Amino acid sequence: MKDDFYIGYLPTTTPGLGAFLKRTGLAYLAACLVVALGLVASMGGFSSAVFEYGVERDFEGTLVGGPVPMLLVDRPSSEGEPSSYVLTAFGKFGAGPEVEPHAGARVRLSGTLIYRDDRTMVELSAGSIEVLAPVALSRTVSTERTEELGELTLEGEIVDSKCYLGVMKPGNLKPHRACAVRCISGGVPPVLLVRDDAGHASYFFLVSEDGGAVNSEVLDHVAEPVRLTGRAVRRSGQTFLYANPAELQRL
Amino acid sequence: MSQGYRAVGWNPQKKTYDRVLGLGLLLYLGLFVGVGFALHPTATAETLLLRGLGTSAFLLLHGILCIGPLARLDRRFLPLLYNRRHLGVSMFLLALVHSVFALIQFHALGDQNPLVSLFVGNTRFDSLAHFPFQPLGAAALAILFLMAATSHDFWLANLSAPVWKALHMLVYLAYALLVMHVGLGILQAETSPLWAGLVLAGLALVLGLHLVAGWRERGLDRELAPGDAGLVDVCAIDEIPEGRARVATISGERVAVFREGLTVTAVSSLCQHQNGPLGEGRILDGLITCPWHGYQYDPCSGRSPAPFTERVPTFRVVLRSGRVLVDPTPSPAGTEQVPACAEQPQ
Ligand code: HEM
Ligand code: FES
Repeated sequence: MKDDFYIGYLPTTTPGLGAFLKRTGLAYLAACLVVALGLVASMGGFSSAVFEYGVERDFEGTLVGGPVPMLLVDRPSSEGEPSSYVLTAFGKFGAGPEVEPHAGARVRLSGTLIYRDDRTMVELSAGSIEVLAPVALSRTVSTERTEELGELTLEGEIVDSKCYLGVMKPGNLKPHRACAVRCISGGVPPVLLVRDDAGHASYFFLVSEDGGAVNSEVLDHVAEPVRLTGRAVRRSGQTFLYANPAELQRL
Repeated sequence: MSQGYRAVGWNPQKKTYDRVLGLGLLLYLGLFVGVGFALHPTATAETLLLRGLGTSAFLLLHGILCIGPLARLDRRFLPLLYNRRHLGVSMFLLALVHSVFALIQFHALGDQNPLVSLFVGNTRFDSLAHFPFQPLGAAALAILFLMAATSHDFWLANLSAPVWKALHMLVYLAYALLVMHVGLGILQAETSPLWAGLVLAGLALVLGLHLVAGWRERGLDRELAPGDAGLVDVCAIDEIPEGRARVATISGERVAVFREGLTVTAVSSLCQHQNGPLGEGRILDGLITCPWHGYQYDPCSGRSPAPFTERVPTFRVVLRSGRVLVDPTPSPAGTEQVPACAEQPQ
């Protein structure tokens, strides 16, 4: 036993050495499995957000253009605000180019639901927009029901709305940074995610002071703690922050 | 250069080794994803698989890095070293699938070529906490690829042993890059102390084993100085176990002084295959046999038996009143020496 000399190309080992190796291999495997269990058990929670991947639904409503394209769908009760679905496109792209030509029109479209908390988004199926009534005939909803919330200084994290609302888990923080950059660069609306002390999240869609897109200006600041001051406005069921992205401050 | 590669077939041990490895990996991934879903029902399969693949590759790399010092501390680990290549290639494959998965998930279907996005997506090279961790993983993957691709003896022979050895030392750079890939990546979001603790424990294990193994061998590198007639007194002949060697550092090189019966010979202790420690080998059928992969050399000439053509430098040995004296000037590799013979049985 003491002088076991292993010769790899011979077909067998001595019994003592064989038993030692078996024990070593099993101990290593067991250690790895225990580590796996520990890692899995202590992983941070996954949100209950949903991406109905592979399930397409039809929607009917009024298209809102601009940097945060939306579909406003009347609620059955017809009272109160319509439901507002932010639109994105397939992959890491925004729905702007498809929505803009029909902004203000009443349309039918199909897409896949993405939702988290009380927020809903639709991944627009390419080419599915069907105009039911052109701009002039449809009710103009985009400018009405605007509520000024005043100037706010907010601290939070810029996320891409599509991943955070359910396409990726986790869809924020450092590991997701490069992906968020890709999505926002591709036109997915950026959101400043702000948590209050109780952990409740508020979503502020970021736009420039005159309401334009700021996607390319915020890329260097996603997925890290930032502070931004701007004019908060609630419109079409979503909250917007009109702010100058050059004033983004790292915390 | 060698004419042929030693035909080391897939003998039953290798098959067992591979089977255990394959089953172990399946068990690991199954457990990671299965228990992951049981404990986190709202998780996505992509994330669980990505993490299962990344962590299994990382754990396997720890095992691979520990085998070296373990084999130096306890010879019984040597058989694991013998088949380490299979572990390395498996680890590379796991890491590759993890990387491709990540590339697709985080970079594909966007407005930029995914391979470009990987390097330009995150631009915070000026910050540690926000430093781009994915390019670090990509650099490590490139090293692991080079090692896996050149792991066959064909490359060893064609790159020459020192170049090959240097290339394979890059595994330590890959490991450092991966510690940062994990530390600057998932650990910035996964706040459980267990994740960070395990990464640190792994680092401590790898460093600790290498330090202990190096410490144990420190005496070996004490240079022996030549005495009378320019010869180096290595030891008494009866200090060398039968069929084994005593290793001494002479002229800056480790020399293996072997004894078989009454004959004493000395060769360079560096195996021409992968610089394995010939001095820890033994004489089998009259040939010095390397403990790592079994390359063999004639003790007098330092030459591998035909048809193999490896040669190691040899040293002239003289026996004087029971002491083994070695000429510190190495003879060119493959030089036949007259073995020193003791007169009476020891
Ligand atoms: C192009 C190469 C690579 C890319 C793009 C990449 C990407 C990623 C990403 C995005 C994460 C975080 C995923 C998460 O949220 O859980 C991650 C984590 C990790 N990676 Fe890599 N990686 C690469 C190479 C490697 C290599 C070669 C290894 C080798 C072992 C490795 C090991 C790990 C480990 C252990 C983790 C932590 C567990 C996890 O979060 O998945 N990665 N990698
Ligand atoms: S190092 Fe491989 S046989 Fe010696």
